[in-house]
Amino acid sequence: MGIKGLTKLLADNAPKAMKEQKFESYFGRKIAIDASMSIYQFLIVVGRSGTEMLTNEAGEVTSHLQGMFTRTIRLLEAGIKPVYVFDGKPPDLKKQELAKRYLKRADASEDLAEAVETGNKEDIEKYSKRTVKVTKQHNEDCKRLLRLMGVPVIEAPSEAEAECAELCKSGKVYAVASEDMDSLTFGAPRFLRHLMDPSSRKVPVMEFEVAKILEELSLTMDQFIDLCILSGCDYCDSIRGIGGQTALKLIRQHGSIENILENINKERYHIPDDWSYQEARRLFKEPVVYNDKEQLEINWTAPDVEGLITFLVNENGFNSDRVAKAIEKIKAAKNKSSQGRLESFFKPVANSSAPVKRKETPENDAKEATDKKAKAKAGGGKKRK
Amino acid sequence: MLELRLVQGSLLKKVMEAIKDLVNDANFDCSATGFSLQAMDSSHVALVALLLRSEGFEHYRCDRNISMGMNLNNMSKMLKCAGNDDIITLKADDGSDTVTFMFESPTQDKISDFEMKLMDIDSEHLGIPEAEYHAIVRMPSAEFARICKDLSSIGDTVVISVTKEGVKFSTRGDIGTANIVCRQNTTVDKPEEATIIEMNEPVSLTFALRYMNSFTKATPLSSMVTISLSSELPVVVEYKIAEMGYIRFYLAPKIEEDEDETKP
Repeated sequence: MGIKGLTKLLADNAPKAMKEQKFESYFGRKIAIDASMSIYQFLIVVGRSGTEMLTNEAGEVTSHLQGMFTRTIRLLEAGIKPVYVFDGKPPDLKKQELAKRYLKRADASEDLAEAVETGNKEDIEKYSKRTVKVTKQHNEDCKRLLRLMGVPVIEAPSEAEAECAELCKSGKVYAVASEDMDSLTFGAPRFLRHLMDPSSRKVPVMEFEVAKILEELSLTMDQFIDLCILSGCDYCDSIRGIGGQTALKLIRQHGSIENILENINKERYHIPDDWSYQEARRLFKEPVVYNDKEQLEINWTAPDVEGLITFLVNENGFNSDRVAKAIEKIKAAKNKSSQGRLESFFKPVANSSAPVKRKETPENDAKEATDKKAKAKAGGGKKRK
Repeated sequence: MLELRLVQGSLLKKVMEAIKDLVNDANFDCSATGFSLQAMDSSHVALVALLLRSEGFEHYRCDRNISMGMNLNNMSKMLKCAGNDDIITLKADDGSDTVTFMFESPTQDKISDFEMKLMDIDSEHLGIPEAEYHAIVRMPSAEFARICKDLSSIGDTVVISVTKEGVKFSTRGDIGTANIVCRQNTTVDKPEEATIIEMNEPVSLTFALRYMNSFTKATPLSSMVTISLSSELPVVVEYKIAEMGYIRFYLAPKIEEDEDETKP
């Protein structure tokens, strides 16, 4: 999934591009969320013990609804305005990757059957998680739930990450939330991880800024895309023996995949036959998304109380008291979302005084100040070493 | 090298009490002109700006501009160990990653040193332009605190409107509504009991009471509070700190959303 080892590569080579943020600081922000990824996570985590999952009376899984309902309410309560983007038709290049995943699931199903037979609980848990697949029905259920909650849903023409990135580029949303690092390759200016993690895990949100990444790695966006393709993406094979670090070195040295291919030792590194890196690159650079002229309606409306009760309580066996309470929360949150942010009135400026510990030349000081201005964002601090 | 000696140590204690619930971590900026802080709450709705001018300190030495990141809860824990009459001295060496608070009892027979670790805080500094406000209300701070407390038992938000009649604070909740009007009143024995309203234009804005209540923690610092309102700006709630400076709270208003057209 996503780009192999990119998080680590960035942590090692562009630490300034990553920032821990408090969940609350996204108050009032519009955020595009990659729905498929979230649903997948819910199916794996929510209400699971062994092969048992949350189900309704008919025996259909409802983990995704439970997860989507509670996490979305958590976002709304924090004053965040989520827009869920669902995957459309996968690009042809991804079919290979999808086929691979299908095979893996089939393997896992066999392993699971074996584990159930031998009764190894750990294995049952492990393999049953691997057999999880997000079906069309899951997606449709979640779309229906979200619409009833008054949360906007967008069906992407192709990849959801690409559409999210586009929404962020065009300024329709503040940031993109996903666990898939692809979003950065698609050029989402601001990308959040762990936004949808359960509050109990207390994981801070990790914010990435593409502009900062490029600055820190001193790469252009095109080179960054090449770097991601070399590291390993969903759309084509990568070169055996080249991981993130080597890829970064090669890109810095040669500038593009074409030049690398000309200069690389072909004995040592085996280039895949018919390597479709150019198509992959094109997918990242010009993905299929809605263009600006197509009017996207992004509106947050009041929840449909009766609809929610019918859907969750009557059709899917949710506890009616809990649903009623949750609906109250949605309504209360709706009220709260009208709170303005200070940044809409006051603009960030550079702070002149230097931290007590740092001793720098005036030149560095000036740079420090501009750096500060550029990244100027409040957030948690960390202990000095 | 930084050394600030504040005879009226209780003042620093009160300042901490006023801001520690609103902000967790903040950078204190020291320059030749004074000791200041600007920080936002985690949801970026409210901002606190503190200034203690150098003249207010008995001794003030700050060789170069520095910024010290502190956890306000920890700082408050340390300052709570100071007596109300103690003289507080704040010290930091260049290149050190700690700050020292020294408390001296008025009779000089007890001296305590508390050293606290500093933090690296990556915080946003907002530029706050000087503005002409549509209305400025000066009133007894205890009265304002009482109003905020009373209204928050009924509703979550307060509408503050200033008209020729005076300043009106109103709220609405599940159990009913409340309206409190304060009229201009300058015919009092003590100046700190007066209510003075300067109005250029009528103004009406809605705010979250939770934040207003948090601001009123600064009430012990000053007998008067100044509330400045403009229709397109955050409200400023200011408490003057005698002969030293001020503590100002900025709060973004609630915005009327245009998607309420579903209502009749």
